[in-house]
Amino acid sequence: MPDPIHQFEIKRLVPLELFGLDATFTNSALFMVLAVVLIAGFLIFSMQGRSLVPTRLQSLSEMLYEFVANMVRDTMGHGHDEHGHGHGYMKFFPLVFTIFIFILTLNMLGMIPGFFTSTSHLAVTASLALLVFVTVLIVGFAKNGVGFLKLFVPSGVPIYVLPLVVAIEIISFLSRPVSHSVRLFANMLAGHITLKVFAGFIIMLLGAGGAYGVLSILPLTMATALTALEFLVAFLQAYVFAMLTCMYLNDALHPGH
Amino acid sequence: MSNSSNGQDHNGGKLSPQEIAHFEHRVSELNKKLGKVRAGKIAKAESQGGSAVGGRGMSYGFKIGSEFVGAILVGAAIGYGLDYLLGTKPWLALAFFLLGFAAGVLNVMRGYQQLQGDIERQTGANIGKDLPDDDD
Repeated sequence: MPDPIHQFEIKRLVPLELFGLDATFTNSALFMVLAVVLIAGFLIFSMQGRSLVPTRLQSLSEMLYEFVANMVRDTMGHGHDEHGHGHGYMKFFPLVFTIFIFILTLNMLGMIPGFFTSTSHLAVTASLALLVFVTVLIVGFAKNGVGFLKLFVPSGVPIYVLPLVVAIEIISFLSRPVSHSVRLFANMLAGHITLKVFAGFIIMLLGAGGAYGVLSILPLTMATALTALEFLVAFLQAYVFAMLTCMYLNDALHPGH
Repeated sequence: MSNSSNGQDHNGGKLSPQEIAHFEHRVSELNKKLGKVRAGKIAKAESQGGSAVGGRGMSYGFKIGSEFVGAILVGAAIGYGLDYLLGTKPWLALAFFLLGFAAGVLNVMRGYQQLQGDIERQTGANIGKDLPDDDD
Protein backbone atom coordinates (compact mmCIF):
# COMPACT_ATOMS: atom_id res chain seq x y z
CA MET A 1 0.00 0.00 0.00
CA PRO A 2 1.30 3.47 -0.82
CA ASP A 3 2.43 5.34 2.26
CA PRO A 4 -0.17 8.07 3.00
CA ILE A 5 2.38 10.12 4.98
CA HIS A 6 4.93 10.14 2.18
CA GLN A 7 3.28 13.16 0.52
CA PHE A 8 4.14 15.39 3.50
CA GLU A 9 7.85 14.62 3.40
CA ILE A 10 10.06 17.69 3.35
CA LYS A 11 12.71 17.48 0.66
CA ARG A 12 15.83 19.62 0.80
CA LEU A 13 16.25 21.29 -2.55
CA VAL A 14 18.97 23.91 -2.04
CA PRO A 15 21.04 23.59 1.15
CA LEU A 16 21.53 27.02 2.64
CA GLU A 17 22.85 28.34 5.92
CA LEU A 18 22.22 31.88 7.10
CA PHE A 19 23.81 33.24 10.30
CA GLY A 20 24.38 29.70 11.57
CA LEU A 21 20.73 28.78 11.05
CA ASP A 22 19.55 26.04 8.74
CA ALA A 23 17.65 27.95 6.07
CA THR A 24 17.55 25.21 3.47
CA PHE A 25 15.25 25.88 0.55
CA THR A 26 12.77 22.99 0.73
CA ASN A 27 9.85 21.83 -1.38
CA SER A 28 7.58 23.51 1.19
CA ALA A 29 9.36 26.82 0.63
CA LEU A 30 9.21 26.27 -3.13
CA PHE A 31 5.43 26.02 -3.05
CA MET A 32 5.12 29.07 -0.83
CA VAL A 33 7.24 31.03 -3.32
CA LEU A 34 5.11 29.63 -6.13
CA ALA A 35 1.97 30.78 -4.30
CA VAL A 36 3.36 34.29 -3.83
CA VAL A 37 4.40 34.49 -7.49
CA LEU A 38 0.98 33.24 -8.62
CA ILE A 39 -0.92 35.70 -6.39
CA ALA A 40 1.24 38.69 -7.28
CA GLY A 41 1.24 37.76 -10.96
CA PHE A 42 -2.53 37.31 -11.06
CA LEU A 43 -3.33 40.52 -9.20
CA ILE A 44 -0.88 42.65 -11.18
CA PHE A 45 -1.90 41.14 -14.51
CA SER A 46 -5.64 41.30 -13.87
CA MET A 47 -5.54 44.93 -12.75
CA GLN A 48 -3.44 46.01 -15.73
CA GLY A 49 -6.30 47.55 -17.70
CA ARG A 50 -7.96 49.15 -14.67
CA SER A 51 -11.03 49.88 -16.75
CA LEU A 52 -14.31 51.18 -15.37
CA VAL A 53 -16.11 48.26 -16.97
CA PRO A 54 -13.93 45.42 -15.70
CA THR A 55 -12.71 42.51 -17.76
CA ARG A 56 -13.35 39.01 -16.46
CA LEU A 57 -10.01 38.76 -14.66
CA GLN A 58 -10.32 42.26 -13.25
CA SER A 59 -13.76 41.56 -11.83
CA LEU A 60 -12.37 38.36 -10.30
CA SER A 61 -9.75 40.30 -8.36
CA GLU A 62 -12.34 42.94 -7.50
CA MET A 63 -14.60 40.20 -6.13
CA LEU A 64 -11.71 38.88 -4.05
CA TYR A 65 -11.12 42.36 -2.70
CA GLU A 66 -14.81 42.89 -1.94
CA PHE A 67 -15.08 39.49 -0.25
CA VAL A 68 -12.23 40.18 2.17
CA ALA A 69 -13.24 43.82 2.64
CA ASN A 70 -16.74 42.71 3.65
CA MET A 71 -15.27 40.17 6.04
CA VAL A 72 -13.14 42.85 7.69
CA ARG A 73 -16.12 45.23 7.85
CA ASP A 74 -18.46 42.58 9.28
CA THR A 75 -16.11 41.47 12.02
CA MET A 76 -14.35 44.69 12.94
CA GLY A 77 -16.67 47.47 11.92
CA HIS A 78 -19.68 47.23 14.24
CA GLY A 79 -21.26 50.62 14.61
CA HIS A 80 -18.77 52.43 12.41
CA ASP A 81 -19.25 53.97 9.00
CA GLU A 82 -18.65 51.99 5.85
CA HIS A 83 -15.09 52.95 5.07
CA GLY A 84 -13.89 53.00 8.63
CA HIS A 85 -13.04 56.71 8.59
CA GLY A 86 -11.84 58.01 11.90
CA HIS A 87 -11.52 54.50 13.21
CA GLY A 88 -8.87 52.90 11.06
CA TYR A 89 -9.77 49.24 11.19
CA MET A 90 -9.33 49.13 7.41
CA LYS A 91 -5.62 49.59 8.12
CA PHE A 92 -5.59 45.86 8.80
CA PHE A 93 -7.17 45.00 5.46
CA PRO A 94 -3.81 44.35 3.73
CA LEU A 95 -2.77 41.92 6.47
CA VAL A 96 -6.06 40.02 6.40
CA PHE A 97 -6.16 39.96 2.59
CA THR A 98 -2.58 38.69 2.38
CA ILE A 99 -3.20 35.97 4.95
CA PHE A 100 -6.45 34.90 3.30
CA ILE A 101 -5.19 34.71 -0.26
CA PHE A 102 -1.86 33.15 0.75
CA ILE A 103 -3.53 30.31 2.68
CA LEU A 104 -6.22 29.88 0.02
CA THR A 105 -3.62 29.57 -2.73
CA LEU A 106 -1.49 27.14 -0.71
CA ASN A 107 -4.54 24.99 0.08
CA MET A 108 -5.70 25.00 -3.53
CA LEU A 109 -2.19 24.24 -4.84
CA GLY A 110 -2.17 21.27 -2.49
CA MET A 111 -5.30 19.93 -4.18
CA ILE A 112 -3.39 19.45 -7.45
CA PRO A 113 -2.16 15.83 -7.57
CA GLY A 114 1.57 15.53 -6.94
CA PHE A 115 1.83 19.01 -5.47
CA PHE A 116 3.01 19.70 -1.95
CA THR A 117 0.66 21.22 0.64
CA SER A 118 2.65 23.70 2.72
CA THR A 119 -0.31 24.33 5.04
CA SER A 120 -0.26 20.66 6.08
CA HIS A 121 2.83 21.44 8.17
CA LEU A 122 2.40 22.84 11.66
CA ALA A 123 5.55 24.92 11.26
CA VAL A 124 3.93 26.96 8.48
CA THR A 125 0.52 27.42 10.10
CA ALA A 126 2.05 28.12 13.51
CA SER A 127 4.25 30.84 12.00
CA LEU A 128 1.18 32.47 10.47
CA ALA A 129 -0.78 32.17 13.73
CA LEU A 130 2.13 33.61 15.74
CA LEU A 131 2.38 36.47 13.26
CA VAL A 132 -1.25 37.30 14.01
CA PHE A 133 -0.77 36.76 17.76
CA VAL A 134 2.24 39.10 17.95
CA THR A 135 0.44 41.69 15.78
CA VAL A 136 -2.52 41.59 18.16
CA LEU A 137 -0.21 42.08 21.16
CA ILE A 138 1.66 44.98 19.53
CA VAL A 139 -1.48 46.71 18.24
CA GLY A 140 -3.28 46.11 21.53
CA PHE A 141 -0.58 47.69 23.67
CA ALA A 142 0.15 50.45 21.17
CA LYS A 143 -3.52 51.50 20.92
CA ASN A 144 -4.65 50.99 24.49
CA GLY A 145 -1.46 50.92 26.55
CA VAL A 146 -2.00 49.16 29.86
CA GLY A 147 -5.74 49.29 29.11
CA PHE A 148 -5.21 46.30 26.84
CA LEU A 149 -4.96 44.18 30.00
CA LYS A 150 -8.67 44.86 30.54
CA LEU A 151 -9.09 42.00 28.08
CA PHE A 152 -8.21 39.66 30.93
CA VAL A 153 -10.36 41.35 33.57
CA PRO A 154 -14.07 41.00 32.74
CA SER A 155 -16.25 43.63 34.38
CA GLY A 156 -18.68 42.72 37.12
CA VAL A 157 -16.72 39.85 38.64
CA PRO A 158 -16.56 39.64 42.46
CA ILE A 159 -13.06 40.28 43.79
CA TYR A 160 -12.69 36.87 45.47
CA VAL A 161 -12.96 34.91 42.23
CA LEU A 162 -11.09 37.50 40.16
CA PRO A 163 -7.65 35.76 40.31
CA LEU A 164 -9.20 32.54 39.08
CA VAL A 165 -11.10 34.29 36.29
CA VAL A 166 -8.01 36.23 35.20
CA ALA A 167 -6.00 32.97 35.08
CA ILE A 168 -8.71 31.36 32.96
CA GLU A 169 -8.88 34.38 30.66
CA ILE A 170 -5.11 34.37 30.18
CA ILE A 171 -5.12 30.66 29.34
CA SER A 172 -8.01 31.29 26.95
CA PHE A 173 -6.03 34.10 25.30
CA LEU A 174 -2.86 31.99 25.05
CA SER A 175 -4.82 29.11 23.54
CA ARG A 176 -5.73 31.24 20.54
CA PRO A 177 -2.59 30.77 18.45
CA VAL A 178 -2.68 27.05 19.29
CA SER A 179 -6.22 26.45 18.04
CA HIS A 180 -5.68 28.97 15.23
CA SER A 181 -2.73 27.04 13.79
CA VAL A 182 -3.73 23.48 14.70
CA ARG A 183 -7.15 23.80 13.02
CA LEU A 184 -5.73 24.69 9.61
CA PHE A 185 -2.87 22.19 9.86
CA ALA A 186 -5.03 19.30 11.12
CA ASN A 187 -7.75 19.87 8.51
CA MET A 188 -5.30 19.85 5.63
CA LEU A 189 -3.28 16.93 7.01
CA ALA A 190 -6.30 14.75 7.79
CA GLY A 191 -8.00 15.54 4.49
CA HIS A 192 -4.96 14.65 2.40
CA ILE A 193 -4.30 11.45 4.36
CA THR A 194 -7.93 10.34 3.96
CA LEU A 195 -7.80 11.01 0.22
CA LYS A 196 -4.57 9.05 -0.12
CA VAL A 197 -5.88 6.12 1.92
CA PHE A 198 -9.04 5.79 -0.16
CA ALA A 199 -7.08 6.16 -3.39
CA GLY A 200 -4.76 3.44 -2.07
CA PHE A 201 -7.75 1.13 -1.54
CA ILE A 202 -8.63 1.46 -5.24
CA ILE A 203 -5.15 0.32 -6.27
CA MET A 204 -5.15 -2.53 -3.73
CA LEU A 205 -8.55 -3.84 -4.84
CA LEU A 206 -7.62 -3.61 -8.50
CA GLY A 207 -4.33 -5.34 -7.76
CA ALA A 208 -6.11 -8.18 -5.98
CA GLY A 209 -7.85 -8.92 -9.27
CA GLY A 210 -11.04 -10.79 -10.10
CA ALA A 211 -14.17 -9.92 -8.14
CA TYR A 212 -12.20 -7.49 -5.93
CA GLY A 213 -11.66 -5.28 -8.96
CA VAL A 214 -15.40 -4.60 -9.14
CA LEU A 215 -15.43 -3.54 -5.50
CA SER A 216 -12.87 -0.83 -6.24
CA ILE A 217 -15.77 1.32 -7.42
CA LEU A 218 -16.68 1.92 -3.75
CA PRO A 219 -13.45 3.66 -2.68
CA LEU A 220 -13.46 5.46 -6.05
CA THR A 221 -16.86 6.97 -5.22
CA MET A 222 -15.60 7.91 -1.78
CA ALA A 223 -12.40 9.46 -3.13
CA THR A 224 -14.41 11.53 -5.63
CA ALA A 225 -16.77 12.79 -2.95
CA LEU A 226 -13.85 13.52 -0.61
CA THR A 227 -12.10 15.54 -3.31
CA ALA A 228 -15.12 17.81 -3.54
CA LEU A 229 -15.24 18.06 0.25
CA GLU A 230 -11.52 18.87 0.37
CA PHE A 231 -12.01 21.79 -2.02
CA LEU A 232 -14.70 23.11 0.33
CA VAL A 233 -12.44 22.59 3.34
CA ALA A 234 -9.52 24.28 1.56
CA PHE A 235 -11.64 27.38 1.04
CA LEU A 236 -13.38 27.30 4.43
CA GLN A 237 -10.16 26.95 6.40
CA ALA A 238 -8.62 29.93 4.62
CA TYR A 239 -11.82 31.87 5.32
CA VAL A 240 -11.92 30.85 8.99
CA PHE A 241 -8.24 31.68 9.48
CA ALA A 242 -8.75 35.16 8.02
CA MET A 243 -12.02 35.72 9.92
CA LEU A 244 -10.40 34.81 13.24
CA THR A 245 -7.54 37.16 12.42
CA CYS A 246 -10.15 39.92 12.12
CA MET A 247 -11.78 38.91 15.40
CA TYR A 248 -8.49 38.85 17.30
CA LEU A 249 -7.49 42.22 15.84
CA ASN A 250 -10.89 43.55 16.86
CA ASP A 251 -10.13 42.46 20.43
CA ALA A 252 -6.86 44.34 20.21
CA LEU A 253 -8.69 47.51 19.15
CA HIS A 254 -11.52 47.18 21.69
CA PRO A 255 -10.25 45.19 24.67
CA GLY A 256 -13.23 46.15 26.83
CA HIS A 257 -15.64 43.85 24.91
CA MET B 1 -53.40 59.83 -29.26
CA SER B 2 -56.33 62.17 -29.06
CA ASN B 3 -58.17 61.90 -32.38
CA SER B 4 -56.76 58.88 -34.15
CA SER B 5 -57.39 56.57 -31.17
CA ASN B 6 -60.97 57.77 -30.87
CA GLY B 7 -61.84 55.52 -33.77
CA GLN B 8 -60.92 52.46 -31.73
CA ASP B 9 -62.61 53.10 -28.39
CA HIS B 10 -65.95 54.06 -29.87
CA ASN B 11 -67.72 53.39 -26.58
CA GLY B 12 -66.41 56.64 -25.23
CA GLY B 13 -63.15 55.22 -23.85
CA LYS B 14 -64.78 52.06 -22.51
CA LEU B 15 -63.76 48.58 -23.56
CA SER B 16 -66.26 46.04 -24.77
CA PRO B 17 -66.97 43.07 -22.45
CA GLN B 18 -64.97 40.72 -24.73
CA GLU B 19 -62.01 43.05 -24.65
CA ILE B 20 -62.16 43.25 -20.86
CA ALA B 21 -62.38 39.47 -20.60
CA HIS B 22 -59.44 39.10 -22.98
CA PHE B 23 -57.41 41.63 -21.03
CA GLU B 24 -58.15 40.00 -17.70
CA HIS B 25 -57.24 36.62 -19.16
CA ARG B 26 -53.87 37.98 -20.27
CA VAL B 27 -53.24 39.53 -16.88
CA SER B 28 -53.98 36.30 -15.05
CA GLU B 29 -51.74 34.35 -17.48
CA LEU B 30 -48.90 36.80 -16.84
CA ASN B 31 -49.48 36.55 -13.11
CA LYS B 32 -49.14 32.78 -13.28
CA LYS B 33 -45.89 33.02 -15.25
CA LEU B 34 -44.52 35.67 -12.91
CA GLY B 35 -45.48 33.57 -9.89
CA LYS B 36 -43.55 30.60 -11.27
CA VAL B 37 -40.43 32.69 -11.90
CA ARG B 38 -40.68 34.27 -8.45
CA ALA B 39 -41.13 30.91 -6.70
CA GLY B 40 -38.11 29.56 -8.55
CA LYS B 41 -36.01 32.55 -7.51
CA ILE B 42 -37.03 32.30 -3.88
CA ALA B 43 -36.33 28.57 -3.78
CA LYS B 44 -32.92 29.15 -5.35
CA ALA B 45 -32.03 31.91 -2.90
CA GLU B 46 -33.16 29.75 0.01
CA SER B 47 -31.12 26.74 -1.09
CA GLN B 48 -28.05 28.93 -1.62
CA GLY B 49 -28.46 30.56 1.75
CA GLY B 50 -28.96 27.15 3.32
CA SER B 51 -25.78 25.70 1.84
CA ALA B 52 -23.79 28.79 2.83
CA VAL B 53 -24.99 28.46 6.41
CA GLY B 54 -24.26 24.71 6.30
CA GLY B 55 -20.68 25.26 5.14
CA ARG B 56 -20.21 27.92 7.78
CA GLY B 57 -21.70 25.54 10.33
CA MET B 58 -19.00 22.99 9.60
CA SER B 59 -16.26 25.58 9.93
CA TYR B 60 -17.81 26.82 13.18
CA GLY B 61 -17.82 23.25 14.47
CA PHE B 62 -14.10 22.87 13.77
CA LYS B 63 -13.41 26.28 15.24
CA ILE B 64 -15.21 25.66 18.52
CA GLY B 65 -13.90 22.10 18.90
CA SER B 66 -10.28 23.06 18.37
CA GLU B 67 -10.58 26.04 20.71
CA PHE B 68 -11.81 23.72 23.46
CA VAL B 69 -8.94 21.26 22.99
CA GLY B 70 -6.40 24.05 22.49
CA ALA B 71 -7.22 25.68 25.82
CA ILE B 72 -6.81 22.37 27.70
CA LEU B 73 -3.46 21.73 26.03
CA VAL B 74 -2.20 25.24 26.77
CA GLY B 75 -3.35 25.01 30.39
CA ALA B 76 -1.64 21.66 30.90
CA ALA B 77 1.52 22.93 29.20
CA ILE B 78 1.69 26.03 31.42
CA GLY B 79 1.20 23.87 34.53
CA TYR B 80 3.84 21.42 33.42
CA GLY B 81 6.29 24.24 32.71
CA LEU B 82 5.67 25.86 36.10
CA ASP B 83 6.11 22.48 37.81
CA TYR B 84 9.39 22.05 36.00
CA LEU B 85 10.59 25.48 37.10
CA LEU B 86 9.32 25.37 40.70
CA GLY B 87 9.79 21.66 41.37
CA THR B 88 6.20 21.13 42.50
CA LYS B 89 5.40 18.11 40.33
CA PRO B 90 2.61 17.21 39.70
CA TRP B 91 0.34 19.68 41.49
CA LEU B 92 0.50 22.76 39.25
CA ALA B 93 0.09 20.63 36.13
CA LEU B 94 -3.12 19.20 37.59
CA ALA B 95 -4.43 22.60 38.69
CA PHE B 96 -3.67 24.26 35.36
CA PHE B 97 -5.14 21.32 33.48
CA LEU B 98 -8.43 22.07 35.24
CA LEU B 99 -8.03 25.81 34.59
CA GLY B 100 -7.41 24.96 30.95
CA PHE B 101 -10.64 22.98 30.92
CA ALA B 102 -12.47 26.01 32.31
CA ALA B 103 -10.85 28.21 29.66
CA GLY B 104 -11.95 25.70 27.02
CA VAL B 105 -15.54 25.91 28.21
CA LEU B 106 -15.25 29.71 28.15
CA ASN B 107 -13.97 29.52 24.55
CA VAL B 108 -16.91 27.32 23.56
CA MET B 109 -19.39 29.72 25.17
CA ARG B 110 -17.81 32.71 23.41
CA GLY B 111 -17.73 30.81 20.13
CA TYR B 112 -21.41 29.99 20.44
CA GLN B 113 -22.31 33.61 21.18
CA GLN B 114 -20.38 34.62 18.09
CA LEU B 115 -22.24 32.00 16.04
CA GLN B 116 -25.60 33.24 17.31
CA GLY B 117 -24.74 36.82 16.41
CA ASP B 118 -23.47 35.92 12.94
CA ILE B 119 -26.46 33.78 12.01
CA GLU B 120 -28.87 36.38 13.31
CA ARG B 121 -27.18 39.09 11.26
CA GLN B 122 -27.02 37.01 8.08
CA THR B 123 -30.39 35.29 8.05
CA GLY B 124 -32.41 37.02 10.75
CA ALA B 125 -33.01 33.60 12.29
CA ASN B 126 -32.93 33.14 16.04
CA ILE B 127 -31.13 29.89 16.85
CA GLY B 128 -31.76 29.97 20.55
CA LYS B 129 -31.25 33.13 22.54
CA ASP B 130 -30.44 32.99 26.23
CA LEU B 131 -33.56 32.63 28.32
CA PRO B 132 -33.76 34.57 31.56
CA ASP B 133 -32.23 32.47 34.31
CA ASP B 134 -34.28 31.50 37.37
CA ASP B 135 -31.52 32.85 39.58
CA ASP B 136 -31.34 36.23 37.88
